[in-house]
This record gives sequence, structure tokens and C-alpha cells, in this order.
Amino acid sequence: MKAIETTDLTKYYGETRGVEDLSLAIEGGEVFGLLGPNGAGKTTTIRTLLGFISPTRGGATLLGRDVERESELIEAKRHVGYLPGDMGFDEHVTGERLVEYHAAIKGDVRSEELLELFDAPVERKIGEFSLGNEKKLAIVLAFMHDPDLVIMDEPTSGLDPLMQERFYRFLLEEKARGTTIVFSSHVLSEVRKVCDRVGIIREGRLVALEDVETLLTRNGKRVNATFEEPVDRAEFEIDGVHDLRVDGTVSFTFTGNYDELLDHLGRYTVLDLEIDEAPLEDVFMKFYGEVEADA
Amino acid sequence: MLEIARYEASRKLRGALVLAVLVAAMVLLEIAIYPSIQHSGVDLDKYMASMPPAMQAAFGNASLTTIQGFLSIEIYQFLWLLLLGLYVAYQAGALIAEDVERDRMDVLLSMPVSRSSVLVEKFLSLLTTIVVLNVVTPVVVYVGTVAVGEPIPVSDLVMVHLLSIPYLLTCGALGLLLSVAFQRADLAQRTGLGLVFALFLVDSVSASANMDWLGTISPTHYYDPSAILTSSTYDWTGAAVLLLATAALVLVSRAWFQGADLR
Repeated sequence: MKAIETTDLTKYYGETRGVEDLSLAIEGGEVFGLLGPNGAGKTTTIRTLLGFISPTRGGATLLGRDVERESELIEAKRHVGYLPGDMGFDEHVTGERLVEYHAAIKGDVRSEELLELFDAPVERKIGEFSLGNEKKLAIVLAFMHDPDLVIMDEPTSGLDPLMQERFYRFLLEEKARGTTIVFSSHVLSEVRKVCDRVGIIREGRLVALEDVETLLTRNGKRVNATFEEPVDRAEFEIDGVHDLRVDGTVSFTFTGNYDELLDHLGRYTVLDLEIDEAPLEDVFMKFYGEVEADA
Repeated sequence: MLEIARYEASRKLRGALVLAVLVAAMVLLEIAIYPSIQHSGVDLDKYMASMPPAMQAAFGNASLTTIQGFLSIEIYQFLWLLLLGLYVAYQAGALIAEDVERDRMDVLLSMPVSRSSVLVEKFLSLLTTIVVLNVVTPVVVYVGTVAVGEPIPVSDLVMVHLLSIPYLLTCGALGLLLSVAFQRADLAQRTGLGLVFALFLVDSVSASANMDWLGTISPTHYYDPSAILTSSTYDWTGAAVLLLATAALVLVSRAWFQGADLR
């Protein structure tokens, strides 16, 4: 059974396009990343899937159930966890009270274990939580009833790097247990760490749907190098080099063979070298035409 | 079942208790000055009779020189009918809208609950305030009147509070509808205050302007604390009308909410 399937899913807010003609299928057990710049339609897609807003056109199923029929949607939600982008928890209650409340409605299989892993100060009122602690609590709430499918909107924003790593490890463990995980992100590096597949969404449309492996190969690395000797532009117009700029430092995006790159760099005296993941915006630029200023 | 109602009610309990204490203090203060008003020698009834008919109607056409009349004017006509009605409508304005605004509604509806039960259970949580006040206040009023040597009949006191519940629920249902319609708490709350106040005025003015039919659109028309306290007249039909109106308003709110996009 498909965990999520959308057919020409379209949502307009009046004249404003949220998402248009989105068709995708996410398999059970898959970790899927919905990738795109802010304002691309990721949150609209997620909120339509969960029935918070209804599609203008097209439709979607969640765990095989029609999201536009409330009784079916409720049935699906017994097995769905959700981590919202904006948590807005009730700041006047303690974390414990909120966990209890969620347990009363959707059941509790593993909140204790999760609270040990993501140690939010649940005995305190949520109003005193830092953003990171709120996020940890949100993770616990999303997974506490041991759902089959977890949908998360920008789950790692607000988590410190250490906690992010813990969270990625946790997601990989969940994946091994067979949980389907779908999350939105605008950070390519986190998507590559945990996802099997990504859908890239831009201006409300799905512009690419591929394996992470394929995407990474195509995406390449951003290289910045400073050499002792002056460098002529032509010397770096080799296979796999894109967007070359030579002005004191040499910078380019590289999608070719790394061994050949290192050989090439070896011919110079390298003063400084930086090889990094190309930013998501560059991926859009390179493969899908120019990106609007909203990125 | 009713987890949402229980959660929402427990959140409102503290505020309800604080409000009950404040109301009790005010009620005791009012009752404490009653003997001096009664014995002041000023002809307050003549003073009342000199007021425009609409004002008299707003005061409930009661006499200030009997304890029943005094209580109905000073406490029930204003504190209960107007201020508490305003307060409940105001509180109800936040029921749905505040959660939507603060992104809490997404979290709530991501769980296996229907929009209908969210709406109905949140509405029921208004009963916390309504019940706490209607249990604490009559006890305080009774004790106060006994203390000044003017005990009022227990049956009237019980009825004035019991029959206020359908009225307050109607005010709450109005607020609920606004909360769903606007999905913005401050707007729903302010509109609720304005609406309940306007309806109160419409009822007061229309009664004196020979336009009784106009007053029938106001919930205040169906709950008359002065009549209960001064002549033991209990308007059961009025209570039934208010309960029906409440049910209708909740049903409309429910249908609206079921089809609405959360902002």
C-alpha cells in the first residue's frame, strides 16, 4: 500500500497558488524528503494531506484513505504522527500535561522511551521552553503512539547540531523499524543524510522526483581554492566543472570524478581549499532554471 | 470520550475560580450597603420612575428598596445579564480562533478526532466558568442577605441562577459562531462583545418603544432576573427558546467549521 498518494493535487488561496498539479506516490517504509525553498508549497502540501485545508482540485490519500472524507481521514490519523513547522503549544500547561493529553486522545506506546532520548524538561510549563526544547517535545508527541507514517514540517530547525545528529540517527532507526517518514526541508545536507528519495518543489510545482543518490551525483560539490601561483581560467575548464569563477580564488561546482579533480589540484600549490555541498539554490539554478528571489 | 472538553475545562478552571472570588467580593460589598440605602430616606423608586422608560427597562423595572429589587438591579440585571453575558461571549470568541491562530489547531486535528467533536467539546468547556459562577455566587448571595437580616427565598435564588445558564450558553454560542467565522480571536471576541451589548440595548429600548417584536431577537428577552426575584415568575418557555437557539448556533458553527480551511 502507498503511504501517501496525490493526484494532481492543487490548492489555491484565492488567487495565490499554494501548490499545483502535484502528483506523487510515497511507498510504505520509505524516507521521503520534500525539498524546496521557503514559500515553494511544502507546508501547503502537508496541510492538505492532513485535511487542514481542502484541495481546490485533485486529491490525495493517506495510508490508502481519502483525505477529503473525514471519517476515513480520522481512521488514517490513528496511525499518523505529525510534527508541525510552527508548534504553538499551549504555554500555560506543563510538557507532562500535554503528553498526557495526547496520550488520552491517540494512545501512548513509547513516550517514556522517547523522553529519555529527547530530554525536554517536561515538568516545566511550555512557556518556559526554549525553541529547541519545544522541538524535542514535538518529536516525542509525533512518535509516541508508534505511528506507521510520520509527517514532519522542517523538523530540525531550532535543534542544535548535536541534537540534529541524534535526530537523524533516530530517523534511521525508525526507518529500520519500517516507519514511513516524510519531511520537508530546505537543507539539502539533512535530506541526503536520511532520505531514500526526494521530491523537489518549486513555485508550487513538483520539478523533480529522484533518488538521493542520483540527486547527489548531479548536484556535485562547491569548490573554492586559493593557489600560490596565478591561474588562467582555461586551465580549469575541465570535465565536470560548472559555474567557474576565477578572481584571486578559483571557485566552481564540480560534478565529475573526484580523483581527477584531486590530480588536477595537485599540480598547483594550494594555499586554501574548501569543498562543500552545493547549496540547494545552486541545484535549482543548475538543473531547473533560475530561482525566484523567494529562495 | 470528552478528553478535549476535559482538557479545555481544566485550563479554564483557574480563571473561573478567580472570577468567582471577584464576583463574590463585589456581591458582598453591594449587599453590605443595602441597609444604608434602604434607610437613607431617599425616595429611590421615585428617582427610578423619573428615568426614561428604556433605562427603566435596562434596570429590569424593579424597586431598589426591597432586597429582591435591589439585588436584581445591582447584581443580576447588570453583573449577570450584561457583564457575564459579555464575558462568556468574549471567552467563546477565542475557542476555535485562538487555536487556529497559534497553530494549535493543526496539532489537535492531526490526532484522530473529528472537527465536530473538537468544536462541541470546546463549547462544552465554557460550562466550567458558567457552572462555577452559578454555584459559588448564590451561596454568597444567600449568606450575605442572611447577614444583613434580609434573607431572600432560596427557590427564587436557585431559579435566577439556573435559568441564567441557557442565557449564558446562548451568549457563548454566539461567540463560538464568530470564532469559527473569523478564525481570528481578537476580532471574534470584540465582535462578540459588541453584539451581546447591542442585543441587550435592543431589548431594553424596544420594550419601551412599543416594538416588542424587535426585542425578541435578543437573548436577554428570554431571561428576566427581575421577574424571577420580585414576583417568582419563571420563564420556562424562554429557557427552552434559549436552549434551542444555542443548539442552532452550535450546529451552524459546526457545519461551518467542518467545511473551513484552517488559516
